[in-house]
Amino acid sequence: MSAKVKIYSTPTCHYCKQAKDYLDEKGIDYDAFDVTADKEALAEMKKVSGARSVPVICIGDEVIVGFEKGHVDRALKALG
Amino acid sequence: MKSARVLIYSMEGCPFCESARSFLRDKSLDYEEVHAPPGSSQWQEMKEALGTGVLPQIVIHGEPVGGYAHLVELEASGELYRKLGVSAPRAEAVIFDVIILGAGPAGLSAAIYTIRKMMKTLIISQDVGGQLAWTSDVDNYLGFSQVNAAELVKKFEHHVQSFNVETVLGNSIASVQLAGAVKSVTLEDGKTYYGKTVIIATGGGHQLLRIPGEKELAGKGVAYCSTCDAPLYEGAEVAVVGGGNSGLEAALDLVPIASHVHLVSLTRLTADPIYVDKVTRSPNVTLFTLWEAIRVVGDKMVEGLEVQDLRTGEVRLLPVEGVFVEIGTMPNSRLFIETLATNPKGEIFVDMECRTGMAGVFACGDVTSVPFKQVVVAVGEGAKAALSAYNYLLTRN
Repeated sequence: MSAKVKIYSTPTCHYCKQAKDYLDEKGIDYDAFDVTADKEALAEMKKVSGARSVPVICIGDEVIVGFEKGHVDRALKALG
Repeated sequence: MKSARVLIYSMEGCPFCESARSFLRDKSLDYEEVHAPPGSSQWQEMKEALGTGVLPQIVIHGEPVGGYAHLVELEASGELYRKLGVSAPRAEAVIFDVIILGAGPAGLSAAIYTIRKMMKTLIISQDVGGQLAWTSDVDNYLGFSQVNAAELVKKFEHHVQSFNVETVLGNSIASVQLAGAVKSVTLEDGKTYYGKTVIIATGGGHQLLRIPGEKELAGKGVAYCSTCDAPLYEGAEVAVVGGGNSGLEAALDLVPIASHVHLVSLTRLTADPIYVDKVTRSPNVTLFTLWEAIRVVGDKMVEGLEVQDLRTGEVRLLPVEGVFVEIGTMPNSRLFIETLATNPKGEIFVDMECRTGMAGVFACGDVTSVPFKQVVVAVGEGAKAALSAYNYLLTRN
């Protein structure tokens, strides 16, 4: 059973860190993937998002490229 | 003089007259209006009664209170409702000494200075760190021979937080009202904040290439943050557009990762020689100076970048999977462009004391016309803006 929230990131990406900090702050459980170390995760990220840019945040069926609090909040709300 | 509770002398086509009307309508306050275009008998009557010919003029229970800005100020302090003898729709608004818009190096530096001057300070920002968040390392900030940008942001943030400053993060600004003695900032969530001064430190965003394919393929090979996305291009052929410090830093981020880096610059390389030296020594970099990027090619993902030689007109297709755009910044000044003077790039004009020309409104950092978009410059300008705001309040109180 996979977590409802997934985040794909690179270690040097400040926005990725901000996104994870934000989810931590809200007490949201998530699976984090470092796509520089995990090629399978990189392929999966490209497949679900059609993007080659981090962070990619999957919340339920919602796929968010980049980190924007408002968007993450809306998706979390929709997830319930 | 008429004795309506609220009376507005106005004329057609006067923006502040319309602002006053819609302000009162928003607050569900009834008003009567006297059309008093200059020269009319109504205008003469107003001039004699109030001693001014400026429109609009607002009169409450026979007492002249001034123009639109005065109305906003009265409302913010709750005085308007007292004069009208009605209960205020909410608790009286807090009026901050200063509202700082933006929490990058300029805004955070301004905050340190305003707090230490005991000014009641509010910071409103989308995020913390501004463009530093896109940077990997900072090598030219005094006192740090090399520092990770994220760490530098954390240090700035901790310094400001040690003073317990009020901060509203993560919400975009919907509108600002900068005229008058009390300014207001309304956020997308509908909350309004009031301040005696405003420091605009909203920084900049990525300058776009504005060429075909760029928008369609953003995030799909077109990248604006090499720090973030460079690791996704292992073994790939990529292009960097831009010959300044940001462009060469991006190229250097990519050199150890990508198979080949094409560096495209409209001008000769303007980056610090220390970067130029490193880039030209890298075996897997090809320089295209005096070449222009003209089209990003690709369907679902970037498959190439078309570039043209400015001297000969020759067009070439670079078979790249990634295009990193690093051609400078674009000021985040959209909210202010109607009310403040800007240069053709949209950067807010400021004088040597960071004044914008609107009383009580200051600006600093990359949103301004001050040249050299550097952290250290933004930090210095932030301090100046704060001290100017402080001086402004001293002379008013």
